[in-house]
Amino acid sequence: MATPASEGESSTGTAVALENVRKTYQLGEPVHALDGVSLEIPRGSYTAIMGPSGSGKSTLMNLVGCLDTPTEGTVVVDDQDVAALDSRERTTLRGTTVGFVFQTFNLMPRLTALENVALPQLFQDVSRTERHDRARELLERVGLADREDHLPNELSGGQRQRVALARALVNDPAIVLADEPSGNLDTETEADILDLFAEFHDAGTTMVVVTHERHVAERADRIVHLLDGKIERIETLDDAGDGTPSPAGSEASS
Amino acid sequence: MRPGESLRLSWRSIRGHKLRSSLTTLGIIIGIAAVITFVTLGASLQAGVIGDISPDDQRNSYGWAAEPGTEGGPLAGAQPVFSQNDLETLDDDEDIEAAYGYMPLSTQALVYEGEITPQSDALVAAGPPYIRENTLEEGRQFEQGEREAVINPAVAGQFEEDVSVGDELTIALQGGQQTTVTVVGITDTSEGLSPFEGFEPSPRVYVPTDPFYTEDAAGAFPGAIGDGGPGGDGSGDDANTTDTAGMSDGALFLAIVVEAESADEAAVDRAQESAIAYLESDESDASELLGDDLEITLQTSAELLQQLQDVLDLLQNFIVGIAAISLVVGSIGIANIMLVSVTERTREIGIMKAIGAQNREILGLFLAEAVILGVVGAILGTVLGLVAGYLGAWYIDLPLVYPYEYVALAVAVGILVGIASGLYPAWKAARTDPIDALRYE
Ligand SMILES: Nc1ncnc2c1ncn2[C@@H]1O[C@H](COP(=O)(O)OP(=O)(O)O)[C@@H](O)[C@H]1O
Ligand SMILES: [Mg+2]
Repeated sequence: MATPASEGESSTGTAVALENVRKTYQLGEPVHALDGVSLEIPRGSYTAIMGPSGSGKSTLMNLVGCLDTPTEGTVVVDDQDVAALDSRERTTLRGTTVGFVFQTFNLMPRLTALENVALPQLFQDVSRTERHDRARELLERVGLADREDHLPNELSGGQRQRVALARALVNDPAIVLADEPSGNLDTETEADILDLFAEFHDAGTTMVVVTHERHVAERADRIVHLLDGKIERIETLDDAGDGTPSPAGSEASS
Repeated sequence: MRPGESLRLSWRSIRGHKLRSSLTTLGIIIGIAAVITFVTLGASLQAGVIGDISPDDQRNSYGWAAEPGTEGGPLAGAQPVFSQNDLETLDDDEDIEAAYGYMPLSTQALVYEGEITPQSDALVAAGPPYIRENTLEEGRQFEQGEREAVINPAVAGQFEEDVSVGDELTIALQGGQQTTVTVVGITDTSEGLSPFEGFEPSPRVYVPTDPFYTEDAAGAFPGAIGDGGPGGDGSGDDANTTDTAGMSDGALFLAIVVEAESADEAAVDRAQESAIAYLESDESDASELLGDDLEITLQTSAELLQQLQDVLDLLQNFIVGIAAISLVVGSIGIANIMLVSVTERTREIGIMKAIGAQNREILGLFLAEAVILGVVGAILGTVLGLVAGYLGAWYIDLPLVYPYEYVALAVAVGILVGIASGLYPAWKAARTDPIDALRYE
């Protein structure tokens, strides 16, 4: 296993490691969506990624989520170098060690809440009863035990996002990636979802949340600020949850 | 992913678009149903035709005169050219066991013990050997010169009380006259005794040409008809015209039956050659009437049926060809719907890929969907085709023969059509880039 040299001791401490990652799109002239990003995300941590639109947040998520490969540099997810994997292995890694939560929920419209939550395990050849038992357990944890037979269009936005969160957790992933998870929710529902995130984080899940809203980011342990494809600075918050944030600009940019 | 799960998921999305899926399947249903219907009818027709060639019919050759190239089977376009004189000469030929005329006659009704049943073309005048011994269930052949008749079971059972041998039957002729015959025999089947009559069962009364045709022709049977052939209508008129023209013996026959010495192929050939040689020579009355326009066809049942069979085969191939084209159109329909479906579900594909679906699993899902549409279409089409074939065979009164191998073939075709039409859309779905797909609105 090609673990980057920067990773000194026991690799189990790091869920995701990016080293000097560059992602370039060739559109006539090259666009550097990510321009030399190095970042380590420890297991069990809660990281927020902030930055203006177009700063490369989604590109970063796609790389960490094994949906994409970097133009340069290495991305190591759960101790595996993503670029060294073929597309089939990448898909397997994506299915088992990463859970996605999207801004637009992205549930399968013709499957029930229960089936949506169970779907990732379908692709891992888990038996039907086992799948449904696991999905029921997670629906209960996100407070939707009584909605398992509902179709997505019979659920509210907040409920849909809770189904999506349950689905992201169903394979017990090393890391949960949420790209603007509350972007389509009202303030009250947003708070519910963020409370659930905190709950799962407390239970040991590694969380990465992309947002452009300060109060969402402040629920994390630390905030990574992106600007034009580069890490502008990393801000560590004293306390997970509603602890007072450090004064802006107090952290050195890396 | 397990194949069962793949089918379940595909079935779900098919059911999610009921109308669209039904319309798509319709193309396949119609195509397969058309093929199965016509193949069933063809097989049944064939069984009906082949079932009618009795082995002892091999000695007989059936002849008529028509314009060369007339299509449509026995007696099509037949003109009455065979005189009594010609028949007698042929009968004396050493290569020919027997030769006699054949004439379908028009009637109005049959009367038995006061009970009248309308009957327009039940009367057939021929020579006694026309009733072959082994086709008689009861009684004997009629004799020339006697007012006797052999009837078939369809006539016998037509009246309240069954007609039996020795009974008297009254025939109401076209002109209004009535003639009474003694029933001397009953055949064992209601199907035609020769290709002239066609193969479908119908009521028939067989009588000797003398007196029923030769004597009564000018008066009692002005409307002698041909059996179904396009020349039928004209033949009666011609018979009259030639009568008034004063031909030797009056009546002219529409057709002849020439019986060879034995069922041996060489003997049959010899009989046919002798008959044709005489009929086309200047000695015969027929040659005069043939002129330049008409040509004599003289063939055994087997040869005649083969011709009919060839026509049927051609027709069937043609229709099956058209049906096959509709199948092709059906598969293009499936391919089209699947392509629309792939585009429409781009986002779903992206979601499935993001949560761990492999390319081949996506391929499998869409292929399964196309195959389900194809197989469901094929099964429904087969059922519909068999029902239509059954109704058709029943309607035209044929023994029903199900071509079972075609049922298996139809399902195989359904699977193939599904795979062929689903492969490209499924491949397109599998190649979808999840990042683009998730961004897709
Ligand atoms: N597929 C792509 N092709 C070309 N340019 C892209 C593509 N994806 C992203 N970009 C560009 O990369 C930059 C970063 O995009 P993105 O990561 O989506 O930003 P964010 O999520 O922070 O708004 C943008 O300038 C965007 O236009
Ligand atoms: Mg974005």
